[in-house]
Amino acid sequence: MSIIQINNLTKTYQDTEVPVHAVNGVDLSFEEGEFAAIVGPSGCGKTTLMNMIGGLEQPTSGNVVVDDSVMSELSSNELIDFRLRNIGFVFQAYNLIPVLTAKENVEFIMQLQNWNKREMEERTLALLESVGLGEKVNNKPNQLSGGQQQRVAVARALASKPKFILADEPTANLDSIATNQLLEIMEKLNREENMTFIFATHDQRVMDKAKRVITLDDGKVISDVLKTP
Amino acid sequence: MVLTKIAWRSIWRSKLRSAVVIFAIASGLLGGLFSSAWMNGMAMQRVKNTFTYEIGHIQLHHPEFSENMDIKKTLLNIQEKISGIEKSEGVLGVTERIRITGMAATANKNLGVNVVGVAPETEKKVFELYQKIDSASGNFFENDRKNAIVISRALATELNAKLKSKIVLTFQDFNGEITGAAFKVVGIFKTDNNPWDKMHVFVKNKDLRRIIELPENQSHEIVVLLDDYERALLKAQEFQVKYPDTKVEDWAEISPYLSLMSGYMDTMMGLFMAIILGALGFGIVNTMLMVVLERTRELGMLMAIGMTKRRVFVMIMLETIFLALIGAVLGEILSMLFINHFGKVGIDLSSMAEGMESVGYSAITYPMLEGYRYVQITVLVIITGILASVYPALKALKLHPAEAIRSI
Repeated sequence: MSIIQINNLTKTYQDTEVPVHAVNGVDLSFEEGEFAAIVGPSGCGKTTLMNMIGGLEQPTSGNVVVDDSVMSELSSNELIDFRLRNIGFVFQAYNLIPVLTAKENVEFIMQLQNWNKREMEERTLALLESVGLGEKVNNKPNQLSGGQQQRVAVARALASKPKFILADEPTANLDSIATNQLLEIMEKLNREENMTFIFATHDQRVMDKAKRVITLDDGKVISDVLKTP
Repeated sequence: MVLTKIAWRSIWRSKLRSAVVIFAIASGLLGGLFSSAWMNGMAMQRVKNTFTYEIGHIQLHHPEFSENMDIKKTLLNIQEKISGIEKSEGVLGVTERIRITGMAATANKNLGVNVVGVAPETEKKVFELYQKIDSASGNFFENDRKNAIVISRALATELNAKLKSKIVLTFQDFNGEITGAAFKVVGIFKTDNNPWDKMHVFVKNKDLRRIIELPENQSHEIVVLLDDYERALLKAQEFQVKYPDTKVEDWAEISPYLSLMSGYMDTMMGLFMAIILGALGFGIVNTMLMVVLERTRELGMLMAIGMTKRRVFVMIMLETIFLALIGAVLGEILSMLFINHFGKVGIDLSSMAEGMESVGYSAITYPMLEGYRYVQITVLVIITGILASVYPALKALKLHPAEAIRSI
């Protein structure tokens, strides 16, 4: 069943001398439980496409439909709430809140959703355990390695039980050991909990693990390969 | 709750920068509060001195006496009035005075003075002038000698008089005839109000009554001391109803300068604090703009993952208020310590004593600030913090999450 439907999506930046078509007529759909990578050279439109899927940027034309909600039709506040409840984000630079501990960073999303304290604590500890950081719950980001921080970011992205996770270059700042650990955790979550992951990456290791690889060039989908197990 | 936690901890991210802002707020408040307390202390001392040495809290006169101090405009049945007032609640002391103007002369010089005829025992219950005579300068009519006079150090210098010197007072008697008598100096006082000192001499009212032939049971003035000067207006109104043949005035009416000064101090302090808080406000705006700029990516991330603009706004606002509050509390603690210390030991400006006393102020001032002022300042600092946070918070709201996340 398709959870994300992208229809003729276009993003054109007009603020340059020559209009730039960052995303140019993309049609895609993602099923629940996918582990997909959007790949392509720098400037091909990966991040812009991810931003539009995540409701962080509005398309110039076309639309993104998530579970019957047309994102371009949502108001700014509705979009924020929609992101909070439906989408988990993992960013290249971890982007944890530096003054909060690993546990508090994960709880943060749930606090925004007004979870009750006991449930929130249980889920936080379970999530941090699942990403292998059960021992580091009270560490602040600056007391964690890059790989550990990114694992906290994954736990945070999962905290609100989103429909899918968008991970923009999640391994770009990690060494190969941390990358492998992170990918294993994500694969496991995908396999065991049917969590949908969509990556934007040019990391070959991520591409190798992905079950579907969508290649963009000049804002257009030039290939969409579903790997057979 | 989580916003409070983030805001509070964020203050300590850049310890040096926060410390600088906190120090700026604290020292600004210390400067403002201490100077206000100093001015307030000076003014309050001036007010207290005026009550204690010069006018008391309430005065009763013949309705026309104050116009030109006519010797014939006396209060009648003075003893009856005094005992009536003494019984009134809140009255600490009542005394009567004979007031005339005259000339004081020694062999060297003569000067115009206000001659005050006092009843020494009751006078001491209302005025503390007797405490302004040091042991080497005589006393306030402690001996029963006839025609004794107490003058000020300033007048003594002008007249070239000293203890036991003879001074001749000349004035009009009750029948309009010029009369006079020689008095012997038995005491020399000194208050902080030089001009007032020069203008007043004190004699016993029984001597003065005899010389000016003022009938018994009449005087020009009744002075009342209350347990609280702020009750003066109400008590004056009460006495006015009770003694309609007199004119009853409270201290504010007798000396409008005092009430003016009290209002002036409030205005001055308000102005002072407004300038300081305004300057601090701009400092806070500057700091918080830097905070927003430095945390662009983080704020973008927070908005991306689902933090509403309202919450971002509140978070920046809380951070600003916390910063301002820490500075305010620190500033107030320091101010309290300084004000309490100097309130006890005083600030000695003896080198400027002559100048200060020539305008009626004491050379040693004791800073003082009422407790409610600290609360007032805390509230004002919070308001300043809120106002100062609006612009940086609005800047934060204008961030576009997708762009903010990409920023370095």
